[in-house]
Amino acid sequence: MSIASASLNHAGRPDHALNGDALNADARREARGMLALLSPGLFLVFAVIIVPIGWLFWLSLFDENGQLSAANYARFFEQASYIKTFVTTFRVAFTVTGACVLLGYPLAYMLSQLPRRAASICLIFVILPFWTSVLVRTYAWLVILQRKGLVNTWLMDLGVIGQPLPLANNFAGVVIGMTHIMLPFLVLPLYASMKTIDVDCLRASMNLGASPAATFRQIFFPLSLPGLASGLVIVFVLCLGFFVTPALMGGGKVIMWAMRMEQTTSLYSNWGAGAALGVVLLAVTLALLGLFHWLLGTRATGVWSQR
Amino acid sequence: MTKRLCIHGLAIAGLLASAAVPASAADTITVASWGGTYQEAQTKAFFDPTAKDLGITIKQDTTNGLDDVRLQVTGNAVKWDITELGADECARGSKEGLFEKLDYSVIDRTGINPKLVHDDWVGISYTSVVLIYRTDVFGDKGPKTWADFWDVQKFPGRRALSGSQATETLSVAALAKGIPIDKVYPVDIDGALQSVDKVKGHIDAWWTSGAQAMQLVKDGEVDMASIWNGRAGTLKKSGAPVSFSFDQGVLTADCMVIPKGSKNKDIAMKALAKFVSPDLQANLPLYVDNGPANEKAFETGKIPQDRIKDINSSPENVKKQVLQDPAFWRDTLVEATEKFNNLIQQ
Amino acid sequence: MLLSLAQSALPIGISGIEKRFGAVSILSDLSLDVVAGEFLTLLGPSGSGKTTLLMILAGFVRANAGSIKVGGEEIITMPPHKRNIGMVFQNYALFPHMNVFHNIAFPLKQRRVSAAETAGRVERALDLVQLNGLGERRVDQLSGGQRQRVALARAIVFEPRIVLMDEPLSALDKSLREHMQIELRNLHRRLGMTTVYVTHDQREAITMSDRIAVMNAGRIEQIDQPEVLYARPRTKFVAGFIGESSFVPVESRNGSVWYEDRKLRMTTAAPSAGRHLMVVRPEKLRLVADADEAGGVNLLPATVGDVIYQGDSFVCYATLKDGRQVTLRDYCRSDVLAKLPAPGEPITLGIDAQDVVLVADQ
Ligand SMILES: Nc1ncnc2c1ncn2[C@@H]1O[C@H](COP(=O)(O)OP(=O)(O)O)[C@@H](O)[C@H]1O
Ligand SMILES: [Mg+2]
Repeated sequence: MSIASASLNHAGRPDHALNGDALNADARREARGMLALLSPGLFLVFAVIIVPIGWLFWLSLFDENGQLSAANYARFFEQASYIKTFVTTFRVAFTVTGACVLLGYPLAYMLSQLPRRAASICLIFVILPFWTSVLVRTYAWLVILQRKGLVNTWLMDLGVIGQPLPLANNFAGVVIGMTHIMLPFLVLPLYASMKTIDVDCLRASMNLGASPAATFRQIFFPLSLPGLASGLVIVFVLCLGFFVTPALMGGGKVIMWAMRMEQTTSLYSNWGAGAALGVVLLAVTLALLGLFHWLLGTRATGVWSQR
Repeated sequence: MTKRLCIHGLAIAGLLASAAVPASAADTITVASWGGTYQEAQTKAFFDPTAKDLGITIKQDTTNGLDDVRLQVTGNAVKWDITELGADECARGSKEGLFEKLDYSVIDRTGINPKLVHDDWVGISYTSVVLIYRTDVFGDKGPKTWADFWDVQKFPGRRALSGSQATETLSVAALAKGIPIDKVYPVDIDGALQSVDKVKGHIDAWWTSGAQAMQLVKDGEVDMASIWNGRAGTLKKSGAPVSFSFDQGVLTADCMVIPKGSKNKDIAMKALAKFVSPDLQANLPLYVDNGPANEKAFETGKIPQDRIKDINSSPENVKKQVLQDPAFWRDTLVEATEKFNNLIQQ
Repeated sequence: MLLSLAQSALPIGISGIEKRFGAVSILSDLSLDVVAGEFLTLLGPSGSGKTTLLMILAGFVRANAGSIKVGGEEIITMPPHKRNIGMVFQNYALFPHMNVFHNIAFPLKQRRVSAAETAGRVERALDLVQLNGLGERRVDQLSGGQRQRVALARAIVFEPRIVLMDEPLSALDKSLREHMQIELRNLHRRLGMTTVYVTHDQREAITMSDRIAVMNAGRIEQIDQPEVLYARPRTKFVAGFIGESSFVPVESRNGSVWYEDRKLRMTTAAPSAGRHLMVVRPEKLRLVADADEAGGVNLLPATVGDVIYQGDSFVCYATLKDGRQVTLRDYCRSDVLAKLPAPGEPITLGIDAQDVVLVADQ
């Protein structure tokens, strides 16, 4: 830096500076080295992300006869079922994300307040479901929630309800099953961010006259927002592409985007039909991520200090 | 027709993998079917005897259906010499030109319903869609016809229909309107959709796989359902309190084809001729509930008399059922399915 | 107005505090009276329980027993947010999601002070810590010293009766730390709030405090004004912790104190019979001639070790007859230097009778 500016003053051109050429060459060599180190990663990204997605997009532009056409996209507007699927997908994603927050926030809070050893034991229980396949867990929920399942049987035996509650093969079933699967994705980043909150900040708040409730509202909650936001985004985006649980728990009435992709791909004799759905989902997901980023990235720090 | 929960990404992986498969030796062919108990039964009934007779090796693979064939043929990477498909898939694939012509001087078509004999595909077996109900709910006075199934006053209870097989549900919807079995085809699609519309508010689940249909009935989640006869038979044998019959069943055929570009076309043709011969066809019902496509199988004497009445494609049972017309669905499937999907979605 | 603190400063009466973590006793029967308006420092090595005591005062840690009275009112069970005690944390504990203004306004907001008054008071507090005009800065845009001042402003803006500070300067570099010591001292003079200050740095404690309580292993060893603490340490620990000192073993018998076979001259009464240690500060030792004994100086014969020149002064390490090392510091006056023998040569060190301080040898 100082060498460069000094050389500009003396010679007017950096190349003429003492060892200027050698230093520039050295900088270029370092840049090439970095690129070389990055190249396996770049290649992988290119091969497994850019190329398939590009191919997907390319496919979506062709109709059954291999002609360039917008037919695959026009279908969304011609067939009411696609709009319905879209709405359903977002309804499920929002509901599940909401349920995850309601259940996950207190859980993460509790974990963050526990002594380290107890917290790690509890965390294992949070992560434990990850070790079982989604399919198995979904079937387990079916057994628990269906008309003659555990919950209904118990409630009926106890006389709490006269009629079985409709908990499976409908929207409620999908939400319950998916919430269970998504919860760790919310709790883990949230827990991690709560752990980084300085205990002294909370003490300072109380010391300065804020009650425990006020301290939570004004200090703890705002400071946990980054973790909450990343958890929310992960859960929401995963929900948008979910397949197994809605397929098994929805009773065929709750059709989400990924299920529609499967149906469409097998119904039409060209890949483009399914590809177009994939492209739409990807575009919507990216748009949402952009929106989240804009909301949280540029405003989070500012917004809270204005309160 | 053993349907499947397909994940299409696998098909792409299959395409990539197929490039690595070396060309089969001249006396080896590869046959793909649906896997599971059905394919095990086919192995015993068709593949093993054929391999022995012709002195060839039959390798096996499993398929997800027409998409796999399309991918192999259009990608010039055909690795199967014979594959099984649903009859409506055969009709569509034929239209797309994905199969080799069959040589009926090698394959004897007698005994096979002419609707299942085509230039480039031939019927291999039958599945039926039947009405099943729980006897612990209805005793023996359960719904016997699709009109009964539609009658929610007379037969209160929870119901399930197929949500993934629009063709089958539209066929039973037509029957529910009182259309006689020989008049169901060609299906009046709008009329059938209206019929579905009438009952849809009372459908508690639209199943998307045979396993799911079975689970719904077995766990008592529903009291009556449309179901494939193989699954219904399994339920009954396992002692579940259920009853079903072939009355007003919908017969759906499976077929076999030689994908275009097969490197062992001639041997495949001979093998296929064996598969559909009455002698080997008669083996099938000994292992599985899917009935033989060739009715001459019932004349071989191989099938015990008391078994014949339980086989969906026996001459007696065929009379009670509607045969799905693949040619009809070839031209109407997409539009009908889209409308059906829209209708049943909340 | 912030200057009103002086009138409202309150005394703190701490008595009988016990604190155990599990089976480990951290504070045992600790009692301490803080005079209204004084600057009292808790000084002690790391782990001696200073923070724990401060946390008990602020209400974040519950003691197992004891009493804390502020202006006569018992607060030991009062929740922290009702104690009205300002605190400056070691790492400042500023709220990262708020700017400087909102950090300082936070305690006022909790007390439902009007916006107009809040603005004025925050302004004056910023003034006081010389941060005028930085109200809109984000916390992460501040230097260490500025954060320190914000923390300070936040702790006093609501005019607390008592201010606690836990090693508030330990994260700053040396020159800034020394500068802030003076500033804190001046601020205390101006505002006069009762202040309990924690540090493990004896120089800092001596510079700033009205009184220092030296803590060791959960006990208070001695509370006194800095100069008394230095001149008259009561225990070996205090003597060793505050300032430099060497210890010379002496024995008390028959009402006098003996160093080897020499009777010590001293201005205080001889302690109980037995072994004791004489506290020898480097600057209290002098180079003497044997003949000086008549002048009332205690003589310590030794051998010169290393001599280190430090410009204005020098340090001489000498070895007593019993092998013990003592240190002597003096200014580089030519008369002194003339008396200084070369390393390895014998030397006689002297300590005046009024400088003799004895502590128990444990
Ligand atoms: N929460 C705690 N649990 C167990 N021991 C603790 C806890 N907090 C402090 N201690 C112990 O108490 C002793 C005093 O700690 P502290 O008051 O922080 O000392 P100081 O501030 O003087 O360095 C230390 O030995 C420390 O390990
Ligand atoms: Mg400490």
